[in-house]
Amino acid sequence: MLEINNLHAEVDGKPILNGLSLSVNAGEVHAIMGPNGAGKSTLAYVLGGRPGYDVTGGSVTLDGADLLEMEPHERAAAGLFLGFQYPVEIPGVSNVQFLREAANAQRAARGEPALSGADFLRLAKAQAEGLSMSMDMMKRPVNVGFSGGEKKRAEMVQMGILDPKLAILDETDSGLDIDALRIVGDGIERIMRKPDRAVILITHYQRLLDHVRPDQVHILSAGRIVRSGGPELAHALEREGYAALGLEDARS
Amino acid sequence: MTLTLPSAREEAWRWTDLSGLPAIVAAVPDAGRDALALAAMPAAIASERTDTRLLFVDGVLHSSSTPGRVRLSAVDARTDHALGRHATADGWTLDLAPGQIANVEVVHVATGAASHVPAHVILAPDAVASVTETFVGDGWTNRFFRAELGKGARLMRAVRLLHASGFQSLRDEALLGEGASLVATVLGAGEGSSRVDALVTIAGEQAFAEYGGAMLARGEQRHEAAAVVRHAAPHGQSHQSWRAVADDRAVASLAARVEVARHAQKTDGIQSLKGLLLKRTATVNIKPELEIFADDVKCAHGATVGELDRQSLFYLASRGVDPARARAILTRAFVADALDRIGEEAVRDAFVADADRWLDA
Repeated sequence: MLEINNLHAEVDGKPILNGLSLSVNAGEVHAIMGPNGAGKSTLAYVLGGRPGYDVTGGSVTLDGADLLEMEPHERAAAGLFLGFQYPVEIPGVSNVQFLREAANAQRAARGEPALSGADFLRLAKAQAEGLSMSMDMMKRPVNVGFSGGEKKRAEMVQMGILDPKLAILDETDSGLDIDALRIVGDGIERIMRKPDRAVILITHYQRLLDHVRPDQVHILSAGRIVRSGGPELAHALEREGYAALGLEDARS
Repeated sequence: MTLTLPSAREEAWRWTDLSGLPAIVAAVPDAGRDALALAAMPAAIASERTDTRLLFVDGVLHSSSTPGRVRLSAVDARTDHALGRHATADGWTLDLAPGQIANVEVVHVATGAASHVPAHVILAPDAVASVTETFVGDGWTNRFFRAELGKGARLMRAVRLLHASGFQSLRDEALLGEGASLVATVLGAGEGSSRVDALVTIAGEQAFAEYGGAMLARGEQRHEAAAVVRHAAPHGQSHQSWRAVADDRAVASLAARVEVARHAQKTDGIQSLKGLLLKRTATVNIKPELEIFADDVKCAHGATVGELDRQSLFYLASRGVDPARARAILTRAFVADALDRIGEEAVRDAFVADADRWLDA
């Protein structure tokens, strides 16, 4: 589904990704771990097409289509969902309005008919309930006044409504207490654990992987993947730390 | 008619371009234009409560009007305001007895020439009036609006400037008695330029005034709002909330002043002026002024000018919303709170629809 080949990228002229390659098949969940400054969030933003994250080499395809040629909104319509480490607050725009705009923009881009107001509200209600969010919260402005955990749950509601092929979730587990972690983990499983879906989980901790079991775990260091393995690799990291694997925090 | 216009060399007029007015004054109305069709163009305000409908075509009352409680004749109000003082023709007067209620909708159609119409609203104690005015067409529409609110009277005023070209000038003066309340909202969402001047005087204790709105400018448009709230009695509350949006080479200007007289203690005055630049070739001018002579008052003011938030734009894009739509959504959110204060739903919906039409164009 996703093919990243020898990807190089820089931010403000500083190289962050240095020849990253990764292949994710439909039906798979991949976890990317790594020390601070390794380039995990940069990878997420580069795939999402965030301005200021410049690709200097390599290729990325999603179902064979050149992802890097697409504008950010076109990547979303092509089936990419980026879960933000720090979801953005948008005063004056309700979650419902935001998501209806987004869902119908994606549908229009794919040549599908728009969802009616009633159909959309039914979908939103079902997805919100799945993440223990009330419709009252969905009517509030996007992420405004939400706690860290509520923002992450709201992101998963967005993912459920937009129903992407591939989700890249950047530290979706950060800021979550144990209950919220279970709710979010179950949400990822329910929405994305399907034969034609795939997930890349960017995380620091094993604990999310207890809820969403990865098929492969990769360790990112200095802008490239230095080790890949099964779920046991995450356990080894949790026990022994990066230093035991000969990796250091790039910022320290 | 000889016309003396203020000069851009005067401080209060330096952001306003009146240079096109003499040509419009010399023009004759276009009798061939279908005024009713023009009047029907903006979203209709389908308020069942409306009991008075006035249609002015080039300043002359159209026969389709239903004047209700309004009197059409010479108006017993004058101003020395530089533009408002030209409005000396016959106009309309709404004079409500204590406790009476009226809902007035006025549509002004211009067919290419100039017109000057005064209006006078007198509300006896506890009278309640809603006055909604819509401006469409081409030309110079110059209006003077004077309101006097008795004890406990309430006036809801909503004005939308939707000219296709030309200039709209509006001079509002309001005098608020004890416990009276004025909520006025102006929306500039047409393609013409405008100047809105307001002087609201809190003359009785515990009166409440909200005066504000949203001015949306693009192309070569110039919109300007210059509002003064004068607190001349204690325990008054005022809230001026304006939003200015400028695109292309347009200029949107906001000047808002709060004056608190020496004896107007316990005044609570809030001022919020925000500008949004959609292009770097556009201009937003913001001039907040506070002039406070009383010592026990609460006056808060905020003035900002900025661009759309890049993080929000990327967040919307990452969910599939294209850049033009994302900008429209965020711009709409920026102006929304200025229109939210319109109390009557049908009026608010019509104003929001006008703003949306501007944003989506």
